[in-house]
Amino acid sequence: MDWLMQAINEGTIPFLIRQTLLYAVPLMIVALAGVFSERSGIINLALEGIMIFGAFIGVLFVRLVQQWGWFEAANQAKDWMTMQGFAVLTMAVSALLGAVFAMLLAFAAINLRADQTIGGTALNLLAPALVLFLVRILVNQNVLQMDHGDSAGWFMLKESFFGFGVGRGANKTPSMGFFGQVFVNKVYPVTYVCIILFIILAILLYKTKFGLRLRACGENPQAADSLGINVFKMRYAGVGISGALAGMGGFVYAMTTANCTSSGEVAGFGFLALAVMIFGNWKPGNIAVSALLFGLFKCIAASYGSLDINGDGIYALKELGVSAHLYRLMPYLITLLVLAFTSKSSRAPKAEGIPYDKGAR
Amino acid sequence: MKKFLAILLSMVMVLSCVAFAETPTDVAVDPETIPDNMTATDGVYKVAFVTDLGQLKDKSFNEGTWNGVKSYAYANDLSYKYYQPANGDQATDDDRYDAMKAACDAGAEVVVCAGFAQEVALTKAATEYPNVNFVFIDGWPLGLSNVAPIAFCEEQSGYLAGYAVVKDGFTKLGFSGGGGGTNPACNRYGYGFAQGANAAAAEMGVQVELKYTWQYGATFSASPELQSMMAGWYENGTEIVFACGGSIFNSITAAASANDAYVVGVDVDQSFQSDTVVTSALKGLVAATEWAIGKHFAGEWATIGNVPTSLGATDDAVGLPTATWGLETWTVAEYETLMQSIKDGTLVIDNTNKQGDEIKTVEFSNLTVIYE
Repeated sequence: MDWLMQAINEGTIPFLIRQTLLYAVPLMIVALAGVFSERSGIINLALEGIMIFGAFIGVLFVRLVQQWGWFEAANQAKDWMTMQGFAVLTMAVSALLGAVFAMLLAFAAINLRADQTIGGTALNLLAPALVLFLVRILVNQNVLQMDHGDSAGWFMLKESFFGFGVGRGANKTPSMGFFGQVFVNKVYPVTYVCIILFIILAILLYKTKFGLRLRACGENPQAADSLGINVFKMRYAGVGISGALAGMGGFVYAMTTANCTSSGEVAGFGFLALAVMIFGNWKPGNIAVSALLFGLFKCIAASYGSLDINGDGIYALKELGVSAHLYRLMPYLITLLVLAFTSKSSRAPKAEGIPYDKGAR
Repeated sequence: MKKFLAILLSMVMVLSCVAFAETPTDVAVDPETIPDNMTATDGVYKVAFVTDLGQLKDKSFNEGTWNGVKSYAYANDLSYKYYQPANGDQATDDDRYDAMKAACDAGAEVVVCAGFAQEVALTKAATEYPNVNFVFIDGWPLGLSNVAPIAFCEEQSGYLAGYAVVKDGFTKLGFSGGGGGTNPACNRYGYGFAQGANAAAAEMGVQVELKYTWQYGATFSASPELQSMMAGWYENGTEIVFACGGSIFNSITAAASANDAYVVGVDVDQSFQSDTVVTSALKGLVAATEWAIGKHFAGEWATIGNVPTSLGATDDAVGLPTATWGLETWTVAEYETLMQSIKDGTLVIDNTNKQGDEIKTVEFSNLTVIYE
């Protein structure tokens, strides 16, 4: 166990866990967004588009609030509780507007009975164009950034806030130890908000009356309707929750991995989330696992050169001398492989993609 | 149909830009306060700027050059306009040529083109419009009298930055460059940085480590991958990274800020953008651009057209920002002394263009290069 303690003390394992969560959490929450929509019977291909839109709204909100100077004093005083309140408020705003944006899909798919795949694709095409257009008008460049400061400075939790690891050289106070290193230091607390939300919503979907009704509408809407459930309402609820989660996920992505910038793209995370959702067989538990797996490989790909798990000063992955491109390929390769082997047992909600027609039998 | 849509879209964009443009006021001198869009009543824009890869407002190379263009035009009451070649980071020579052509057709007298990648397009445009003068920033003579090439001795400011941070007590350095190892300016910055760090380490009798990479920087844009990579460096003890290339600065400062570590900025003084910036390797883009445009309007173009101009310490075109000095132990006075020795020629810095991983083959006495 010596090497394990070494890795913990050297910070390699906390580093890996932290970075993995950065990639995994937005994926997880957006894949859950997909679940809510598909379980109610609406295919939501627009996850990418809604994420892009949510990221834009979140960054814009942060920027405006900074310009108004609302949280300036709290940031100066390193009042992290208030700053996290700001982060959560921004998440709520992104979620709200994400839901509104998703209503475009809901209206087309539910009321107009349009093809859901085409509706989703339309939103995916609309979002980046719209966002870039607005960003150009607002700041006359292709990227919308924070007004000042950086994402980590405003929203990240550091051990120094609690008096650990302060000062330079010999005067430095001790660091927080394993628990603190993994769960507190250099962590974006919104990550935990997302995880808690993920658990609550998974319970909502499986253990409540509402969840059961929602799932029924995705399996056999006619039967649900015959029992007095309003299928239209349920599907609107499904797409609404989906839009809110995807919008929120978009902002979380922008804040934690893109330094709070919006440029009309989220590096394909929305589509990856779709893959994760299918990979996870439309079940929250499996989705969490697959998102973590994907995040881990993504993180290894970007930082393989500085990973030293057994603490012997040798960066094993780098010493192998394999091309960097191979590591970058890995997360996608693994997803493909696992999908190839598991897709047989995968079972999509039965009624997804079919517009509800009261008269059909 | 497609063409019609494209025209319609661009009209909407142009109109909206016009609608949001601010009207210039007379008191402004700070380039930041000069609007990026101005409307000429006769539709003629005399001073034009064609951007390099990356954003206009990259807070670095493009923005520095653009500030020079704006300042000159504003101070002399000339109309000005910028052109970003189509297709962003994937811009082709045709896209760049189109941007230059658009500038010339809009009545430009002098077109400032930023970046070494403009060569092919510039040759074509300058041949086609012999009456328009072109300023080729980061360039070299193209055999055309209407093209004035302006280059900088980036290795000198890179050297100063490398020397400064080692003298300030940093021993584990990093260099993350843009352009994938093919951009001569970035290559010179990086090689200069290594030489400076080595020289300071040799004087102090210490061994210094330098991690060196071009990964994730090819398009000069920020990316989560670069942020992870830099976070990995900082986690493993790297104390300061030279962020050499436009918007990649964002990813690097994000990682630095998370780890309470430091960054060296590039081209312009970037200390206003992040508290993590200790110092910046400057090149006098604003002054050089203003100077070159001035030559045109003063009727002295012949003195710079097709003449290789390399601006360095002797022209006060490179250096570190002394007004926002962020170094703790190495002083401005010591900096001035070092600067003086570069100016009077007692200290000569190798300005070889070390492409890609060629840095690996250089033997340093007190510096270990770890190439990734």
